[in-house]
Amino acid sequence: MKTQIRRSVLVPLALCLALAAYHAAANDPAGTDASKALNFGPEQSLGRGNKNPAAPFLRFAPDGRLFAVWTEADDRAVPPTNPAHQHESTMRRMTSPMRIAVLASSSDGGKSWSPAKQVNTGIEAVQADENGPKVAFNADKKAFVVWSIPGEKGDITRANIRFAMEDGKGGFTPAQTLNEVKDAGRFPIIETMPDGNLLIAWIDRRIDNPKPRQLYLMKLDSQGHALTKNYQVGEGLCECCKLGIAFADNGKTVYMVDREVDDNKVRNHVLRKSGDGGKTFAAPVEISNDGWQVPSCPHSGPSIGRDKRGYLHVSWFTQGRSESEAGIYYSVSKDGGKTFAPRTMIHANTAPETLYNNLVVGDDDRVYFAWSNIDSNNRAQVYIRTLAADGRTWSPIQQVSNAKGNAGRPALALLKNRLYVAWPETDGEQSRVVLRSATLGK
Amino acid sequence: MKITASNCEFKISPSPVSGEGKGEGLREPPIRIDRRKRVILWTCLLSVLGLSAIPGVGRPQNGPQVGQKPAPAVGSEAIPFELKTLDGKVVGLETFHGRPLVMNFFASWCDPCREEMPLLNQLASKSNKDGYAILGIAVEDTRAAVMQYVAEAKLVFPIALDLNSTVKRAYRIFGPPATFFIDSRGIVQDIVIGPMTPERGREGLKKAGVAR
Repeated sequence: MKTQIRRSVLVPLALCLALAAYHAAANDPAGTDASKALNFGPEQSLGRGNKNPAAPFLRFAPDGRLFAVWTEADDRAVPPTNPAHQHESTMRRMTSPMRIAVLASSSDGGKSWSPAKQVNTGIEAVQADENGPKVAFNADKKAFVVWSIPGEKGDITRANIRFAMEDGKGGFTPAQTLNEVKDAGRFPIIETMPDGNLLIAWIDRRIDNPKPRQLYLMKLDSQGHALTKNYQVGEGLCECCKLGIAFADNGKTVYMVDREVDDNKVRNHVLRKSGDGGKTFAAPVEISNDGWQVPSCPHSGPSIGRDKRGYLHVSWFTQGRSESEAGIYYSVSKDGGKTFAPRTMIHANTAPETLYNNLVVGDDDRVYFAWSNIDSNNRAQVYIRTLAADGRTWSPIQQVSNAKGNAGRPALALLKNRLYVAWPETDGEQSRVVLRSATLGK
Repeated sequence: MKITASNCEFKISPSPVSGEGKGEGLREPPIRIDRRKRVILWTCLLSVLGLSAIPGVGRPQNGPQVGQKPAPAVGSEAIPFELKTLDGKVVGLETFHGRPLVMNFFASWCDPCREEMPLLNQLASKSNKDGYAILGIAVEDTRAAVMQYVAEAKLVFPIALDLNSTVKRAYRIFGPPATFFIDSRGIVQDIVIGPMTPERGREGLKKAGVAR
């Protein structure tokens, strides 16, 4: 009888306890493999601490050097012609909004960095955050940089796309404005096409009606000469969100992701596919019908990467149809963007906050995600996790930042067996750029 | 004693204590479980285990979930805060105590915020006469960008900087703009998510007790 009671009660109770322990330990979706956690090295700060570095972006050059571009405060005088400053006397002191874009490289995997070079020589308010500068390289290792500056009247939302490239003499060419219609573009991205030419894309508002916010592209050759005029390939984009891009078929196929906003202010994410090297794009394919209806401005764009099998991996933030759905999501297309798998939540929102995400894909088809979320001290931190090539096995969620204020908008770069993540941290009026890296297991 | 697993309930009833002799009283009371109840218990446990195997089902996410903190809903007290304005003055709900307050969360980079600002400026120019106050709270922004914008848009009402997003999070703002109409007792009377319209502005002020 006693044995029977033990079996009847203790075994189920033990199972209950095991289940409870399992639930307590499981902070993330199914298929988590704790052994896949990454071992990150210590934090490094990039940039001059007293210049409030912000908005880092990482990319490897073809020779394996790691490059970072970010923004810093520009102490030079504010141009007196700027009409926005005539009301300066209404405030205690006018902090200069002028910022520079700087570029630095590391030849030893991020251990040491070259002195940062100023990319833009003019005095202008290089934008940061979601709208920060980006860099690309051609086969000759020449750096090409794009950034955004406010429009003539200082309006950040009616801005301009600027471009400069290394001049071969240790500096950069004078910046040129790429948008042919003034005060119309922001959120630029730049990619080197397999043919060596440059593809630049941005969100444009030269036409505000009837469909606001278009997706514009243009191509430059490796000397910075325009190969095309500005051309529109989409419309109805969410006005404040970064774009994502990936290539296939040696550049013949171009995939772009963005957040759309419809007439009812529903914001879903879409994939646009070009089969002719970015000249034209097919109708957008909805990645997930999240049904996020919001009339305000949650500026957090999606990210895309393509693996060697041709799978397209996409991550994005949405609040969905209720706050309980809010978080960072993932989906994959295994048919070249025709269809997407049902979304998977990578990390639920821990507070009412728009989160920022990024991803890169490794040579082994593993996907690396980075995003921001709120920690138990009500501070935004950067988190990381990976998805194995099997599409099921996730690494645990790892917090990689330890910001005293807030960390956000992580940038990722991956080369062979090392992953790099950089992010900006703000604490009050101070900001800095932080870099960490991890060696990847086999 | 009651054990609850999922929505299945299973009761274990203690039997009368037997063996009142020496030493027996220290033992656990014997428990009798009939076969039917054992089957129910195992069914419940296996169901829970089975559900656990389904991706995402029942798995807690990292940290507290959205919705745990009460939002400052219409009818509830506005959440107190303390921020600094662009000119360095400390400002909070207390500053406006006794007056209705229009509290607007915005950012310099935000399109819909810029769309509604002329209207807020208009409301601000009438606020003294009508006995209410307007406070702009800049979120996800920098002092420099906000100052530039305030100058550019010629804003005439005080602007506070929520540089660490603490007030934004307390008021559950996913993205600006958002406007709270708070009455003179500090009760939230209306909330507008997204850009303000003249109609919503009038309605909000009326609800906040502004007689115009």
